[in-house]
Amino acid sequence: MTVTDIATTIDGDRAASAVPVARRPALRPWAGLLPFGAFLFLFLLLPTYGIVEKAFTGDGSPETFFQTFQDERKAFVGSVKVSLVTAALGVVFGTAIAYAAATATRPRWLRSVVSAFSGVAANMGGVVLAFLFFTLLGRQGLGTKIVREGLGYDLYKTDWFDITSFWGWVTVYMYFQIPLMVLITLPAVDGLRPAWREASANLGGTTWTYWRRVGLPVLAPSMLGGFLLMFANAFSAYATVYALNNQANVVPVKISFGLSGDVGVRSSTPYALATWMIIVIALAMGGYLLLRKRAERWHAS
Amino acid sequence: MSQVGRHRFARLGPNLVLIGAAIFFIAPILSTARQALQKVPMPLFTWGTLFDKWSLAGLTAVFDEDLFWPALWLTLKLAIATVLITLTLLVPTALYVHLRLPRARPLVEFLTVLPYVVPPIALAAGVAAFYRANARWLFSSQWALVPFYVIMALPFTYRSIDAGLNAIDVRTLVDASRNLGAGWLTTLRRVLLPNLASSILSASFLTTTVVLGEFTIAVTLNKQTFPVFSFQYFGRNPQGGIALALLTLLGTTALLAVLSLLTRTKAQRAARQKIRMAAAPLPIP
Amino acid sequence: MRHVNKTIAGLAVLSLVLAACGDDDDDDAATTATTEAPATEAPGTTAAAATTAAPATEAPETVPAEVTEAPGTTAAGGGGDLDALYQACLDNGAQVNLIALPDEWANYKGILESFREKYPGVENPVQNPNASSQEELDAIVNLSGQPDMPDAIDVSPAKAQEAIAQGFFEPYVTSVDAEIPDNLKDPDGHWVAAYYGIIAIGTNTTIVPNAPQTFADLRKPEYEGVVALNGDPRTSGSAFAGVMAASIANGGSPDDIMPGIEFFAELKEIGNLIPTSVDQATVISGETPIAIDWSYNWPGLRGQIEDAGYTVEIHFPSDGVYGGYYSQGVVADSPHPDCAKLWIEHIVSNEGALGYLEGGAMPARFAALEEAGAIDEASLAELPPADLLSQVSFLTDEQVAAATAVLEENWGPMVADA
Repeated sequence: MTVTDIATTIDGDRAASAVPVARRPALRPWAGLLPFGAFLFLFLLLPTYGIVEKAFTGDGSPETFFQTFQDERKAFVGSVKVSLVTAALGVVFGTAIAYAAATATRPRWLRSVVSAFSGVAANMGGVVLAFLFFTLLGRQGLGTKIVREGLGYDLYKTDWFDITSFWGWVTVYMYFQIPLMVLITLPAVDGLRPAWREASANLGGTTWTYWRRVGLPVLAPSMLGGFLLMFANAFSAYATVYALNNQANVVPVKISFGLSGDVGVRSSTPYALATWMIIVIALAMGGYLLLRKRAERWHAS
Repeated sequence: MSQVGRHRFARLGPNLVLIGAAIFFIAPILSTARQALQKVPMPLFTWGTLFDKWSLAGLTAVFDEDLFWPALWLTLKLAIATVLITLTLLVPTALYVHLRLPRARPLVEFLTVLPYVVPPIALAAGVAAFYRANARWLFSSQWALVPFYVIMALPFTYRSIDAGLNAIDVRTLVDASRNLGAGWLTTLRRVLLPNLASSILSASFLTTTVVLGEFTIAVTLNKQTFPVFSFQYFGRNPQGGIALALLTLLGTTALLAVLSLLTRTKAQRAARQKIRMAAAPLPIP
Repeated sequence: MRHVNKTIAGLAVLSLVLAACGDDDDDDAATTATTEAPATEAPGTTAAAATTAAPATEAPETVPAEVTEAPGTTAAGGGGDLDALYQACLDNGAQVNLIALPDEWANYKGILESFREKYPGVENPVQNPNASSQEELDAIVNLSGQPDMPDAIDVSPAKAQEAIAQGFFEPYVTSVDAEIPDNLKDPDGHWVAAYYGIIAIGTNTTIVPNAPQTFADLRKPEYEGVVALNGDPRTSGSAFAGVMAASIANGGSPDDIMPGIEFFAELKEIGNLIPTSVDQATVISGETPIAIDWSYNWPGLRGQIEDAGYTVEIHFPSDGVYGGYYSQGVVADSPHPDCAKLWIEHIVSNEGALGYLEGGAMPARFAALEEAGAIDEASLAELPPADLLSQVSFLTDEQVAAATAVLEENWGPMVADA
């Protein structure tokens, strides 16, 4: 029994890695993925189909579908802007924090706290998060007051700062984007062997050389992957930005206008917008996965 | 000899980053706590009124709410169910992919990231649109939320289990175990699960945070979960509500941190030991 | 690590136990639902009793309209039928599922309580208090056939039209129908508007010492960064009303909402308008010191604001009087139709009307109550002044639709994204 088991395992290996020689592809092994696939189909793909169907039926059609995109171009631009900016900032700060937390030796509980908080904060959002920042940086915020009375500088008298404007959203989004990046990057940073650092130093390199030639290249796939994941996350964030600015010109807010409300009649527009959103994010995801594969190399060894 | 970590200021950069991060993440919590627990409005808040009118009444009042305990209980049940179904679904699948179907790995990874493609507001609308027409009964059970929570937690949970499988040499372990005469179940129970313990625990923690934070679908299906209760309570009693939100945030973090500290595996401890040794100064000969 | 195995086994057992407990609840709910299906009271009987009282003729446009009605008939007609209805409700599950009724909105908290006092044994749980009107209609569809399906709804006029079109309402004529002005009820009995209010401007005078009293005042430079609407008018009924009221104050009319849009565009340009929604949280934290909202939202808010340490002043702008109502009705094919009818009866009853008054809303049967001497000076404290109320004329559905279309085209470019 044992011999045949080994044989099966090796066979499975061979089947997977051998150069196909005019053989029919073995389909039976894929059957093992059936439970997982069925689950996804039922609970993710069918609801998605529900959305797409509503985008093209009723008063919807391929023409209205493309028309909707044209009409709401500004919303898409707004969404893309905030997503790109928060993702870029998230990469920078998230990687830095993950590296700092993963390599810290004192205090002992630091990494556990950082990873626990990241897990919780990455799932935060909505009115509560907006409220958190209102109390700090809103017009009546504690931080605003401290700056005004301590430094004599009224943030809201300037043109560039307002918690309800673009950079305000970006600041608030960072509260869940950075933890998301930290969650993703902590395992990647674990893959940076201390030995490499020492080797680099032994060969005469400085910290900067190490990062440029070893650290960043190793982390790069993870960082880019995190970037795309955060892009998707920011793109789909709705409750947070709506609580900050109920007129925010971003796609999720436009979708919610169409789906719920007191005025107006529901049409196929919000569903079309949601379908477009799925398309945009799916493209970003495709890029993410190409990069994820490369990150694998450095984790296992 | 190694020059790394020997400079006195080698950790300055990382430490500054950590301090900066701490300020950014803790400051809003502090200002919110003040707002929640002190009945002094901001314009009147000065050094003189710094210690006036602090009270925990807003926070303790929530525990007397009728809907609080049932909502918390429901969310806990949902979290446990989601964790179990996630593990039951993902551990065999991940194992299967690792052992039998490595070619499927890119596809499976793509599938596990799909939940990010469909944002919650759209998923809730889609669930309503599709199942309303075709399977009304799904909406009535309180367990209806579980499969959707499993889906939403997929990106975190699959990655966690996958990373765990990567870190151990699955094939050798399985082969060795099978060579010694163990069946699949025994192999799973006595060889694989113990080695995957930390990634399974990590997946469970992340699932719990997702369940604790999910609101949109619960409202669509009209289930009185804890996040829904928390949001509605916040709507009618902002001070109490925000105090509750803070308590949830800090409480969950503390709980997860403690659990994660207690379950650090030997491998992780060894790795950290190596880091510590690399950073420590050499003994003077 | 054996303890991990034990943990997993323990969790599995725990979840099975929990599943068993959970299923019990579902079973109970299911059985109660099936047993009450046959108990129905023909709505025709109640309607017949009401229509025997001769409907008075009244001017349809202005409110409050004169209602000439012998008070005796209503009381006699209502009493007996209501007792029967109460009994039927008790047999029908003794619960009315409500939705989207926040505590501080027109004093619904008080009205819900007075319902429970008046009809002991009947529960009135409110799901999703902050739901919008569209979400209420969605809940009807999503939860249809289930025991927690809403039995009665309270929606904006636009959504009431949609509800009629989709057959969501079960027509029900209340026992006091004759005392409700024509412009506050549906001619076919689908809905009734138990209350209405006008737009008010509330100011947190701790933060902004000089409260504005009219829409024109809002242009003053001292109000920089403090004026807020209750949401985006393209989706929120009260924000829509705010823009309409501003339009009336600036030369517009129910047919022309453009001046209102221009007004807010101006406010935004000079920096007075902020895009933060007015809700409990933002008001209490002081983020929205000047809030334009329905007059009946203020009494509830005021208590909370003063509790937080601020002082509040509420003004009813005389230059822009805009009144709006919400429509309440019984949901068709709901699990507890008798209790739903009992609820509708309650909100148009004297107790309901007094409850609305306390919340600063004008009850539909105000004239009848006044004649019956049921209103004392104290109850009028929260109301807007009578001379303003007499200027109210409600928009027709066509006017609402037209205004919405203009908003959707122009609010974005002119105000939101400007």
